[in-house]
Amino acid sequence: MAAHTSKAFLSLGRINGPGLGFHNSLTRVTYATALSTTNSTGNKGFPDRGNRGAFVRKPRREAGEPRTEKMAVNQDWTAVYSAAAPFKPGSVPLPVRMGYPVKGGVPPEKKGNLELIKIPNFLHLTPAAIKKHCEALKPFCTEWPSALDTEATLDEHFPIKLESTDYISAGTSVRNPSARIVHLKVKLSRLNLDDHARKKMLRLVGDRYCKDTDILTIRADSCPLRQQNYEYAMYLLTVLYHESWKTESWEAERTAADMDEYSWEDSPSQKNILDTLAHMKMAGEGEGEAVREELLGRPEVQEYRDSVMRLKNEGESESSMHQYREAVKKVLNL
Amino acid sequence: MAAPMALTRNMCSFARIFVGISQLGTRNLSVYRDRRSCKLIRSHLQLTSSTSFHTGTVLSSTPSSITVTDEPDALFQKVSVLVKGHDRAVLDSYEFFATMAAKELGITLGKVFEPPKNIERLTLLKSIHIFKKHRVQYEMRTHYRCIELSQITGSTAQVYLEYIQRNLPEGVAMEVSKTAIEKVPQHILEPMWKDQPTDDKSSQ
Repeated sequence: MAAHTSKAFLSLGRINGPGLGFHNSLTRVTYATALSTTNSTGNKGFPDRGNRGAFVRKPRREAGEPRTEKMAVNQDWTAVYSAAAPFKPGSVPLPVRMGYPVKGGVPPEKKGNLELIKIPNFLHLTPAAIKKHCEALKPFCTEWPSALDTEATLDEHFPIKLESTDYISAGTSVRNPSARIVHLKVKLSRLNLDDHARKKMLRLVGDRYCKDTDILTIRADSCPLRQQNYEYAMYLLTVLYHESWKTESWEAERTAADMDEYSWEDSPSQKNILDTLAHMKMAGEGEGEAVREELLGRPEVQEYRDSVMRLKNEGESESSMHQYREAVKKVLNL
Repeated sequence: MAAPMALTRNMCSFARIFVGISQLGTRNLSVYRDRRSCKLIRSHLQLTSSTSFHTGTVLSSTPSSITVTDEPDALFQKVSVLVKGHDRAVLDSYEFFATMAAKELGITLGKVFEPPKNIERLTLLKSIHIFKKHRVQYEMRTHYRCIELSQITGSTAQVYLEYIQRNLPEGVAMEVSKTAIEKVPQHILEPMWKDQPTDDKSSQ
């Protein structure tokens, strides 16, 4: 029966249980006391003091045979252990043994075994019981919408992800202050931002943006309740969005050093290359703006422009240096 | 006999949590309807009086009406349940219970794995006074088990988590990390400055 196998599994697991920190006290079988069945009939307690209505305790009844003897093999186990209950040796019809074995002997039997009572048992959660519980819980569950089966569709329709954690533990209080923390994650590509707004947003958020995954993470933990932190995170996102679309008057005072990316136009590099080429061709044509325009339009100059931009923006690497070298050779006709 | 005592108790506690218990004509529960917009799935239960498992009480465990409301259900991309305990065997049994419950309720399981255990060791003086060379060492082992559920709705998550948490054994702690997903809110779709080109400093 499934119930028995699960219990056998449980009992196997727990025979190896206690071993930490317990020293030789377990070699003595002091913790596993056998109930003494003394045949003390008659009056216990005080002896009769001369017919003065002495205190007579009720005669102690004999404990009958345990219930396990009367259990049928095909009984409904969920009725025996219907809720979490301590281990009762008279109710569990398994020959479970647990504890450190006596020298040259076996682990003690289940009757009067404290080790079996101490550890949590799952006798109320046998597969049959779980099935019954789930059958009753099924009507309260709802199905996941079938249209949202892949991660891509999820990201497309529901780009905002909110992470929060609940904590359950035994203690004097059910509350855990870490439960108020809310993380709001959103991909910036899913928001409606133009170029300027995106750059401004990245400047505003700073470290909270991860370039590799394009995810902005806002961590809200300043309020004492999770609902408040959630609302604050949404408010922050709204404010960031609208502020990044704004263009302030002082943004026009940006210098070349403030720029995020290197732009070749109006840079010393452009001036230098145009001067160099103009000097090289001085003999041929006249000077003037037209010459410079024509020089700019040439493909070698464009290649040079690309390689310089790549070097400045992406940093120095084997391929970018190689590209620069080729571009310079072409431009100067080496 | 039908579902046992624990089931009745579980169902009662579920009912208490849901706002407003709608009831059609049995004696014990009061009729109460919540007219505000906060509506969830409600159920109707019948309480039984006798609780002895020898008599084999017949109790109707299926509610006669479950009302489904219009409030949109929350959606969770991932729910990660981490259980911590001192006894690995207890966590093994709990994992079996949790995975079986998830399968029965039709929840897709992600990964079920065991993060490495954490041992905290202390070395203390054995005696209250002097005897520095004689110490005693203790250790506290914390075993972990992580069960990840993916693509689960709010109602199902609530049901499953409550079921799991009510049957959490003694001495075991749990952390549940939920990743809820939401649409982009209405006020972030378009910048508000588009209709007000001259009014740059308008406050929100």
